[in-house]
Amino acid sequence: MSIERKDDHDHKAWIKEKDLTAIESTFLTVLVWLDRRLRIVDYLELLETLYYRVNLQMPKSHTEQYNLDNKFWYWYPLYSLGFFSTLSYVVAAISGALLGFYYSPSAAAATCGVDGSTVAYCAVAGIMTDLNFGFFLRSLHRWAAQVMTAAVFLHMLRVYFTGSYKEPREVNWLIGIVLLSLTMVFGYTGYLLPWDQLAYWAGQIGVEMSLSIPLVGDWVAQLMFGGFSLGQATLQRMYLLHVFLLPFVVTTVIAIHLGLVWMQGIAEPH
Amino acid sequence: MGDDSRSIVVPERLYKTVTVFSTLFAIVTVVGGFVALDAATKSASAKASEVSVPFAVLGIGLIAAGGLVYAFASRFRARGMATDKNSDDQQPNNG
Ligand code: HEM
Repeated sequence: MSIERKDDHDHKAWIKEKDLTAIESTFLTVLVWLDRRLRIVDYLELLETLYYRVNLQMPKSHTEQYNLDNKFWYWYPLYSLGFFSTLSYVVAAISGALLGFYYSPSAAAATCGVDGSTVAYCAVAGIMTDLNFGFFLRSLHRWAAQVMTAAVFLHMLRVYFTGSYKEPREVNWLIGIVLLSLTMVFGYTGYLLPWDQLAYWAGQIGVEMSLSIPLVGDWVAQLMFGGFSLGQATLQRMYLLHVFLLPFVVTTVIAIHLGLVWMQGIAEPH
Repeated sequence: MGDDSRSIVVPERLYKTVTVFSTLFAIVTVVGGFVALDAATKSASAKASEVSVPFAVLGIGLIAAGGLVYAFASRFRARGMATDKNSDDQQPNNG
């Protein structure tokens, strides 16, 4: 590909007549010399023209029609947060599936250097110390989970502050609330799986919070934690929720959420 | 602010030349400088006696050269461009 030279400005004469220091005129002369040979700027200008021509083919959005782009452009990057949530969910799912090969949800006693340690705890410790790339794998899973939580929350703020939840997208907002809640349950159940001190006492708090619910507290604690005190039943339930129930439910709900965005189109700012 | 720093208004096409080539130069020299510095010091793990002094000086020199060119290039600007946002010749257009 070659392009005609559009730049017929006489830089040399311009540099001479302008009152420049020796360094400045040398600097400019060198750059003009390079420009004559490498012509990067010409090609960049070509790309620029191409960009604007393609843009002119697009239908005008509401934002452009009413000339809101100049006030609104800085929101646009935040429209990627929903996809960012999806992406971190996929990363967590893949790394989690791989962790599943090495973890077992057992509160039975085991020895791996710490008093009172369990099979579950030792499995996680083994992943970190014995398994090739195990430390990396577990870190990836934890980071993906935390990034997802943050991204989902920020995505919700984006939807709120751009008014995208308004008619006709109320249902997707409600589905979003379900997704935010399920994301947090995902995080909580996963947090308990290493069955270390943090996990154990977080579980204790969970049982007590359940018990504090009026009327149905006992029942909720039984259902979610398998009893009023922590043990094998608790760990097993958390494991099933985390690796069986939630993956199916959350994947389905995300699919519906995205399907609705696809059908309704992205909202113009309100 | 910006009073003592020299600024030269150049034609727009020349401004593009200055930006593109000085940035390119700065990127290449600064990255190359760090590569050289890394090689000279074995990624900062070499003992003081093992450091290759010429290479280390070359690395630092390249980084400095890149920074210098980049900073020097900032004195050239196209018409209507402000060096900082408090300059008089730029009216806020509520961007
Ligand atoms: C697992 C969690 C979630 C995922 C993976 C997800 C994914 C997405 C994606 C990819 C979009 C397309 C637009 C964009 O990326 O910004 C979107 C739009 C939307 N999301 Fe979510 N989302 C999640 C949670 C939520 C939450 C917590 C809410 C609010 C409570 C919400 C409400 C909405 C609404 C109303 C839209 C339509 C916005 C528009 O049309 O501009 N979502 N979601």
